[in-house]
Amino acid sequence: MKAAARVIRGFLSLLTGMWVTFRRIFKRPVTLTYPHKKPELSAAFRSAISLIRFDESGSHDCVACLQCQNICPSYCIAIEGEKPEGLKKKRATKFDVDYALCSLCGLCIDVCPTVTLEYSKIYDVADYRPDAFVYDLLEPYRDGEADFLVEARKKAEAAALKKAEAAKAAKAAKEAKAAAAAKEEENAAGKTETAKVEG
Amino acid sequence: MPTPTPTTIHDLLGNTWLVLLVATAGIMAFLTVNTLFLVWLERKVSARMQNRLGPTEVGPAGLVQTIADMLKLISKQLITPRLADKPIYHLAPWLIFLPILAAVSLFPFSESYVLHDLNVGLILVFAFAGLTILAIFMAGWGSNNKYALLGAMRSVAQNIAYEIPLMLAALAVTMHAQTMSLRGIVEAQADLPYIFVQPLAFVIYFISGLAETNRAPFDIPEAESELIAGFHTEYSGMRFAMFFFAEYSNMFIVCMVATTLFLGGWHGPFGLPGPVWFFLKVYGLILLMMWFRWTFPRLRFDQLMSFAWKILIPLALFNLLLTAFIMKVVA
Amino acid sequence: MKPRKDAAALLDGETYFLNMGPQHPSMHGVLRLLLRLSGERILECEPVIGYAHRAHEKMAENRNYQMFLPNTSRVDYLGGMIYNLAYCQAIEKMLEIEVPERAEYIRVIVSELNRISSHLLWFGTFLLDLGGITPFLYTFDDREEILNILDRVTGSRLTYSYGRFGGVTQDVDQEFLSMSTAFIKRLRTHFSEYHKLVTGNVIFQGRCRGVGVISPDMARTYGVTGPCLRASGIPYDIRKAEPYGIYDRFDFDVATRNEGDNFARYEVRLDEMEQSCRIIEQAIANIPEGPIMPAKPKKRFKIPAGECYFAVESPRGLMGYYIVADGSDIPSRIKLRTPSFSNLSSMVEVLADTMVADTIAILGSIDLILPEVDR
Repeated sequence: MKAAARVIRGFLSLLTGMWVTFRRIFKRPVTLTYPHKKPELSAAFRSAISLIRFDESGSHDCVACLQCQNICPSYCIAIEGEKPEGLKKKRATKFDVDYALCSLCGLCIDVCPTVTLEYSKIYDVADYRPDAFVYDLLEPYRDGEADFLVEARKKAEAAALKKAEAAKAAKAAKEAKAAAAAKEEENAAGKTETAKVEG
Repeated sequence: MPTPTPTTIHDLLGNTWLVLLVATAGIMAFLTVNTLFLVWLERKVSARMQNRLGPTEVGPAGLVQTIADMLKLISKQLITPRLADKPIYHLAPWLIFLPILAAVSLFPFSESYVLHDLNVGLILVFAFAGLTILAIFMAGWGSNNKYALLGAMRSVAQNIAYEIPLMLAALAVTMHAQTMSLRGIVEAQADLPYIFVQPLAFVIYFISGLAETNRAPFDIPEAESELIAGFHTEYSGMRFAMFFFAEYSNMFIVCMVATTLFLGGWHGPFGLPGPVWFFLKVYGLILLMMWFRWTFPRLRFDQLMSFAWKILIPLALFNLLLTAFIMKVVA
Repeated sequence: MKPRKDAAALLDGETYFLNMGPQHPSMHGVLRLLLRLSGERILECEPVIGYAHRAHEKMAENRNYQMFLPNTSRVDYLGGMIYNLAYCQAIEKMLEIEVPERAEYIRVIVSELNRISSHLLWFGTFLLDLGGITPFLYTFDDREEILNILDRVTGSRLTYSYGRFGGVTQDVDQEFLSMSTAFIKRLRTHFSEYHKLVTGNVIFQGRCRGVGVISPDMARTYGVTGPCLRASGIPYDIRKAEPYGIYDRFDFDVATRNEGDNFARYEVRLDEMEQSCRIIEQAIANIPEGPIMPAKPKKRFKIPAGECYFAVESPRGLMGYYIVADGSDIPSRIKLRTPSFSNLSSMVEVLADTMVADTIAILGSIDLILPEVDR
């Protein structure tokens, strides 16, 4: 009798399972039909790094400090830079990232002192050659580099001029202050002398 | 009212050789279309049960997908293992699907036309189905592969074990219909399909039929996660396609026998023509088989065997005895 | 592999060797099991590992502490967040860095979400091994929601490099908290569906009850931890035994069963998912405002000479980082104690007297991740 009850209970458990799958037929499929509909990427989505174009300067701000290159665990960043004439900081002349090696850890973005790196949003890259994924991050900036340097030099000169004037003004103020202090002393000395003479 | 003697294809065409040619071609064409359709149906049904879409790209609603897959299979290289037992290895794919052609020719799908009608039709269908067991073992042995052999041995044991309740359930129906001719059994259900008279026999028959065709939850012989692909591991390309073909055609035959024995064949409550009812019932049972496959995990092999020997066979025997008792004593 | 010395004696026609090789369609990864069978019964089982060795510990000797962060996620990719944060916590312990409260709460929420997603994937693949293909798709749908939530926060779906020494990289917003709450509600309704489809199913119970029993003594001998240990009756959970982070502030139960078979492990993991939901709810209710990194984050990490062992509860068991520092900014040695390695070693004894057909089911219920075994 117990065996019969077990068989019946077993049979009913099978029917319950069948009901679950039957009900699921009528739920909407969750498939995203990929080539026809593209996925929505989140704002934080991580893909290959790229240089940010700042509004004030119209270009990137990489100073070739090599910190990202040193910290990359996959050794995929290759940077070269030089100090252009008239500017204080170095400027990158080569910035290659081998995206095939990148592990998307974000350490390069964390460590960049000028906050000039960000993630891009590419996700559907495919190629036959392994070296197709060496991205040149300076490519969008090469055309405008000359203009940027001219602007930067102007700004640097203006800043240097301002600084020189400020230094001159400061020096003049300092001299005036010293002269005034000396005159005060003279007066004070004169007074004492007069006092001495009068006394 | 007794049905008029049906027209057989022999009456229509006369020449025996022509009959053979037309019948073979017709059955092959039908089975091919059937397999193509069933593969597509399986993929769509499984997809819907799993909250996904199934094939959609090739053809409208993915209907042409199976043809594309068949073309791909045909174009693949036929790799033969070096140490395979060549005659057995090469014969197995043919042997697994040729008897099915013979079995299909016996089916009564319409009241007025039939390909062939024998008064031992039921026995002949089971006999042809039994040939596939031989083919499975040949495939497993000839592949010279331990996995294939394991799969083949399990499959053979499973098929032999489940044939017994299958035939015992069919036997119970035969006792009611008093004939083994498939047409006769359908005609005897003009008033009431036998599923209402023999519900236990239907359940036993259907479960045994699932096991005969190696469908889940009895699909240990071809369980992907356990034995790669069981007895057809070493077959590629068109030979693999034959096994695939044979599996779906086997499913079709089991459901056809179930329809004939239990659901009343071509009879229907209202005006649709006989063949339409027949195929509706057959495909309904096939859908039920697919539903089982995508819901249940599979039985372990020894559980499968003990289920057959310790539960199904005693039940089938009990059913037979009960039927005999009721028929003799009560009716 | 060297040929066995007793090979000749063994080829007696009664037993045979079957190689469940590294290429196998079941869900375990590249594990090779050399089985000696007699008919369907396994006489001896020898797991051969190393097919997924990627030299993480060697890489640790050549990179500084920060550069090892992406490696940590990839050791166990299903528990990537937990491993990542555990490494950060180990370094914080060595350097005595104070982690802000908000960062601690965020760490707990994302860790528990990660644990739920790992268990959901395990559930699907376990059923897939047993032949029920459909629940795999259902759990992946749930898991997709978790991955979307974590993608919004961290930017990655599987291998997060979210932790930093002292906190986390990105802050979470109100949208994240409300999405997590909604997800937990949805998951709880799906639990009842999973119970109906799987747990009560007579075929499933027949495959799992009484199969692959790990006795408590066996578990202690081999160092089995995690759900496998708790299913054998020993209620050891590091979040309760030696709480790290702020786990001592949360109220949750340690799921335990006594039978030690596949079914007990299955139930323990389902219970654990429910407990993780409880922890997430409590964390969302109590998360404070504040910074997510210390006020003056360090830039260079030179750790004075010394050793540190830090253990956390990963979805598979006890996961430990043993870090040996020598005063520079490159570690002298980082040893990873991974739970799957010890869990797998218990299989030698468990599989020694079962049937071949049960092998896949038992291996599935242990929840192995081969890259974690091989590192």
